Amino acid sequence: MIQFKNIVKSFGPKPVLNDVSFDVPTGSVFFIIGASGVGKSVLIKHLVGLLYRDSGEIWLDDEDISKFDESRMGAIRKKCAMVFQHSTLFDSMTCAENVALPLRKHKHLSLREALAEARERLKVVRMQEFADRYPPEMGDGMRKRVAIARALTVDPKYVLFDEPTTSLDPVSARRVDALIRELSDKLGVTSIVVSHDLTSLFAIADRIVMLYRGKVRLQGSRADFKSTEDGVVQQFIHGRATGPFEL
Amino acid sequence: MTPTLARPNASSPHEPELEPLEHAYEPLGFVGSLGAAGIDLIVGARELYSVFVRTLHYVVRGRREKGAVIRQMYEIGNRSFLFLSITMGFIGMILVYQAGLQAKRIVPDFTLLGATFLELLVRDFAASLGALMLATRVGAGIAAEIGSMVVTEQIDALRMCAADPIDFLIKPRFLASIVMTLVLVVCAGAISFVAGGLTANIAFDVPLRTFFNHELVDFGDMAIGLTKCLAYGAAIPIVSGYCGLSTFGGSEGVGWATTRAVVNTSLAIIILNFFISGAGFLVFPG
Repeated sequence: MIQFKNIVKSFGPKPVLNDVSFDVPTGSVFFIIGASGVGKSVLIKHLVGLLYRDSGEIWLDDEDISKFDESRMGAIRKKCAMVFQHSTLFDSMTCAENVALPLRKHKHLSLREALAEARERLKVVRMQEFADRYPPEMGDGMRKRVAIARALTVDPKYVLFDEPTTSLDPVSARRVDALIRELSDKLGVTSIVVSHDLTSLFAIADRIVMLYRGKVRLQGSRADFKSTEDGVVQQFIHGRATGPFEL
Repeated sequence: MTPTLARPNASSPHEPELEPLEHAYEPLGFVGSLGAAGIDLIVGARELYSVFVRTLHYVVRGRREKGAVIRQMYEIGNRSFLFLSITMGFIGMILVYQAGLQAKRIVPDFTLLGATFLELLVRDFAASLGALMLATRVGAGIAAEIGSMVVTEQIDALRMCAADPIDFLIKPRFLASIVMTLVLVVCAGAISFVAGGLTANIAFDVPLRTFFNHELVDFGDMAIGLTKCLAYGAAIPIVSGYCGLSTFGGSEGVGWATTRAVVNTSLAIIILNFFISGAGFLVFPG
């Protein structure tokens, strides 16, 4: 179980998150939605110590991790993997080497063992044929699948996806959706997905939270979001240009 | 689970009950700006020191990445060789020519022109001018590369893979830079001396045998020169790596990081030069 309690975060004089609280049930596919710049990615980065909150608490498996320093975050990052918006594969490494990196660092495998294991992991995302290719030689969708394989190498309990379907073609996007759903259904992995993709949202989300102007606007199931009378939420989920939604 | 509405009926376009997130803040006055700059300087110096100490820690205790240092030695050393040779060659010619003109005006005797120039090169100029050239090429490259990795979240991805960016990125550059700065400075210094000798021969008819005279160079000069090479070799990747890691924003931020890297590395070289030279004159007064 992940719990965000009263999270406040500012960048200099600019407040981003203002008293954000919600729970992420274990094993669910949990979506965080909201306008660009509302602080969705900022919020999930707090969970793995890539950013630190100004106040509030973050609880992970009954442990307050919000005060953990960089050295203690190692264990959390093993438990919570993250797939970044731009894949963030290292261009100077092959796909196999990219996937092998967390195996070497987190699991302390030798290079040979890590590369063998990485090739197996690439099979899961159907990228085994591209193991020796460099990321710049591949398309966005392929890079995203390798990034997912890299995130899954440490067998995480939680996976954070930062806009996983952005810049992907519709077929690749739905394959990523299917993979996220499968992780939850077959392996019991809890996925937190930051996304604007409404197709993904209404296809695979178990629970959704919407951030609006630094606060939680609504949290609930897909049905709750469809049936709400809140004009801001309705405008966002129907993608209407006019209405009460303020950027 | 039931849906939780933070503001159930808040659908008005004006949202009167919503607190504005952008708090107005007073611009800092002159004293405030000065204080903020001072605090930034102290924080920056502390972080730079932290990068240096952590780099040393990983040099001693970190895991070796196969080929990483060699790759960086090629990037820093081989790829800078031509640039450094040409610039130091021209600097050698300019310095000898200008020194020759001055000598001709005051004491028309060129006997010690080569020996004095060599002493100056070994003690200071080869290392300092060479390092300043390296700062522009290598420092800018390191800051741009690491800065780009910051803005594209690759540094965050490294941290998620349990790879400390200091260990993974700065350490190999640090080791490679220390070795290659020394090698490049020795080579570029030699080229500068030869270019100076040829200039003296052509412009002032100084025989090459007279110019290539090392009698003024002693152990102290070599010790100071070597110390400078090592210090500059360490400073370039540390300062420029720190500038890269502290990048924020997008491509504009990378541009700023690169500029800061060149300026700060050059400044570090000049300040180090001052202190090492001062210490050198105390230890080797001759």
